[in-house]
Amino acid sequence: MTKTISRRDFLKLGAAGAGALALGSMLPPKVAEAARAAGTIDAEGNGFVHSMCEMCVWRCGLIAKVVNGRVVKLDGNPEHEHSRGNLCPRGQSGLMNTYDPDRVLTPLIRVGKRGEGLFRPASWDEALDLVARNMLAIKEKYGAEAMVFSSTHNLSQPLFENLLYAFGSPNYGTQRSLCFNAMIVSNLMTYGMEEPARIYDDKLKYIILTGRNLLEAISTSETHDLIMAIDRGAKVVYLDPRYTKTASKAAEWLPVKPGMDLAFHLALLHVIIRERLYNRWFVEQHTVGFDELKKEVMRYTPEWAAPLTGISAETITRIAREFAKAAPHALAHNGWRTSNFVNSFHTQRAISILNALVGNWNVTMTAAAEEGAGLGAPPQPPYPRVSALRLDGVPWKYPVVPFKLGVFQELRDNIVKGEPYQAHGWFISRQNPIMSLPDRAKTLEAFGKMDFIVTVDIIMNDTAWFSDVVLPEASYLERYDPLLPVGDKAFIRQPVIEPQGEAKSALWIYKQLGERLGLGDYFQYEDEEDYLRQQLAPLGADLEEVKKKGYAEMPESEHAGFTWNTPSGKIELYSDTLAKVGFPGVPTWEEPPQPKEGQFYLLTGKVAQSTQFGTQNNQLLHKYSDEPRLWMNAKTAASLGLATDDWVEVASEVGQIHIKLLATEAIRPDCVYLTPGYGHLSKGLKTAYGVGASDSVVHVTYTDPISGSQALSQTFVTVRKA
Amino acid sequence: MTDIKHHAYLFDATRCIDCRACMVACSVENNIEMDKTRIWVAGLGVTGEYPNLQRSTMVYHCMHCEHPDCMSACPVGAYTKAPDGPVSYNPDVCIGCRYCMNACPFGVPHFDYDKGIIDGAFIDKCTFCPQRIYNGQEPACVQTCPTDALEYGDRDELIKRAHERIAAHPDRYINHVYGEHENGGTSYLIISHVPFKDLGLPELPETPINEVSEKVMEMTIPFALSWGAVLTAVTVGVAAYEKKNGKGKAEQTK
Repeated sequence: MTKTISRRDFLKLGAAGAGALALGSMLPPKVAEAARAAGTIDAEGNGFVHSMCEMCVWRCGLIAKVVNGRVVKLDGNPEHEHSRGNLCPRGQSGLMNTYDPDRVLTPLIRVGKRGEGLFRPASWDEALDLVARNMLAIKEKYGAEAMVFSSTHNLSQPLFENLLYAFGSPNYGTQRSLCFNAMIVSNLMTYGMEEPARIYDDKLKYIILTGRNLLEAISTSETHDLIMAIDRGAKVVYLDPRYTKTASKAAEWLPVKPGMDLAFHLALLHVIIRERLYNRWFVEQHTVGFDELKKEVMRYTPEWAAPLTGISAETITRIAREFAKAAPHALAHNGWRTSNFVNSFHTQRAISILNALVGNWNVTMTAAAEEGAGLGAPPQPPYPRVSALRLDGVPWKYPVVPFKLGVFQELRDNIVKGEPYQAHGWFISRQNPIMSLPDRAKTLEAFGKMDFIVTVDIIMNDTAWFSDVVLPEASYLERYDPLLPVGDKAFIRQPVIEPQGEAKSALWIYKQLGERLGLGDYFQYEDEEDYLRQQLAPLGADLEEVKKKGYAEMPESEHAGFTWNTPSGKIELYSDTLAKVGFPGVPTWEEPPQPKEGQFYLLTGKVAQSTQFGTQNNQLLHKYSDEPRLWMNAKTAASLGLATDDWVEVASEVGQIHIKLLATEAIRPDCVYLTPGYGHLSKGLKTAYGVGASDSVVHVTYTDPISGSQALSQTFVTVRKA
Repeated sequence: MTDIKHHAYLFDATRCIDCRACMVACSVENNIEMDKTRIWVAGLGVTGEYPNLQRSTMVYHCMHCEHPDCMSACPVGAYTKAPDGPVSYNPDVCIGCRYCMNACPFGVPHFDYDKGIIDGAFIDKCTFCPQRIYNGQEPACVQTCPTDALEYGDRDELIKRAHERIAAHPDRYINHVYGEHENGGTSYLIISHVPFKDLGLPELPETPINEVSEKVMEMTIPFALSWGAVLTAVTVGVAAYEKKNGKGKAEQTK
């Protein structure tokens, strides 16, 4: 079968298709030498290599099929608890990230104006020297705190943190405040842990999902668990203003009014306490603050909540009774984001407390294993003392937000304001703040304040497009990362193929940079394999064996049982920590703002075919994604004279976008919905550029004062025909 | 998996979340071009009126019929039904007549209108991943499915499993295993909470369509031969008559 490649085909075809295969076949296959040494790839470059997915942060185990030195297929690793032999669409398409024709494969130094996209290739030495020189110049002139560092949750993050804390900067931006700060701070205040593990055992009978769209925001094993629980007959109650795919599988879909899920949960607590449906023994033994909670929630009757939520008092009362009756085989899922309003912390607290009241602990939820526990690490000196205030207001404005979470949007705002001091440099790794932070114009303004910006990524994402130096990272199929313990195994991410071009692992990049900054003591490993050997040392495991098998056995960390790392050592229904800094110690009603006449709630939410802002350029995912359109209730649309595929202008107080409309029954009449992650600015993303519109252009920055969470659902927009 | 006598799929519409992992997996496994797919999502999608809504979607690919109409219709024998289930297609033999597309009651074979006859490979459809199933692996779409909506196994066992699942939750499922008998049976079996026509499946008789057509087709040669005899006799008769009357000659000379 011959295949002629037209220009159109060439653009459409990825490396998995004929185009890049033809290109690739001109070069001798670059076999992953490490895999060959381990015997998993033979002399011809064929074999199967165990590694880990990085298409989202769930990190499924995978087995990569390599033919002639190229990855041709990824399958889920049945031995990995996160994948159980399955991969989601993103995981399946992962090799297209590696073979993306838009990969950055050599260090780049900007030659045009910022945002013009004009770069020249450079050697690693030149690029790293330039980055180190600029960072040191900023440190000397303005202090280390004038360098801002930001990165999204990933396995090499401990080394990234070494870089910034050793450098002496307190300014650390993560994605967390744009995602789940409310959930994490709530669990810390209630259970003394970031996120208890959820257990979907055979007896699980009742699940309340508050905006947790688990069947579209896929976490492979948990998505599987939920479907199997439904299959066994567990009842799912799902709150969401949209009829998502999760809604379609739930026994009961409650299209709650955005921001009012707090009222719903407060009313559940009310019914459970008023009707004495809680587990009295558990509450007495393992919690503190029941009386304060009782006093507060007595005013939150179902009749009070009904007009706020749009859910009848009978339904709320019934669900409270059903949930309590099913307990302890019941689970109220915290979700990552619920609907994000400035009251979200209280919503999350109410959910955390709901589980505690009915005694679900150690039945449907338990202590999560500590990340990295039991593994070795290279020796390193303590970090230097940092006295500068953090630009993101932690803790001086956000006293209960942990340092490692931070408040990213506040950091950006204070860069723009230059308060309490001016930042001058930004080091960004695996992150795309131009797309992820609300109010894109403001983020670009913050970029404008910078003397120097450097981005580490595998493709020319929007942030890289506006950077001065781009350092090309090896993709997750081309590099080692630190080990990931899951249960009684520590899993490896290892190169399935050699890095293409000049791409390098983060472990290598951070070490090189650390040495140039005079911080070599914080990176005491020869190379990636040496780092892994030091991690494996306490387990007595041999790296070559681990490479072959995909994991090292390790002793499973013991469950905490019935102890909690809170000040009282118990589950805190009332939190003294919160009260001491002036916040309500128990969940409290705070009425969220509502749109004015003619405005809509702007909702965003996940689809199964993309992860945040980094996968839209993946050609396989692009192929199987729905066209991003603005959802609007069909009747509302008709009343405004709008129809599906009409171009509309969506405007908020900070920006406007143009996008096609989708008139659908599957959304509340007072809401519109936009799939996030589209509307890229970077013309270096040839597949994604020009597709859809960016939610970050219209999102207004509102921050939950307690948890620092960005209130992503609190933006109100007008919609008119474009 | 070694004891599979008859390879088959079972699709449970109540478990499918329309995530499309199967579609991506198929595309990668079989190196499908970017503008093609062998799996697609069928069904009505979201129906009803807010807030009383329902969703019906189905992962659709070749049904691997027990009596494949594509195979009956194909004039050059490009289709083969393996005794253990898979219906395969041979592009080297195909002449691009597209009879199979018309014959398939499920609309499965797709024709590449962009390519001419010279470029080959006219039809594209699910192969049942022979490179995987005969090497102890599940088909790519099944292996990756995060919710076990797609399962793979022996046809008889899957039919049994499907009936057991329906019996365990009669309130949840329509009491029917689509493909057990439709069109003489298929190797892609479906159970569902919504009517099968809402998933985009045709209502078909139990007797395979091609059983009728094949009976007719079997008559073709005797029919042609007998007609040939009749026509030959007529021609010979007419010629003899004309020769006798000299009419043929007269017309020829005109």
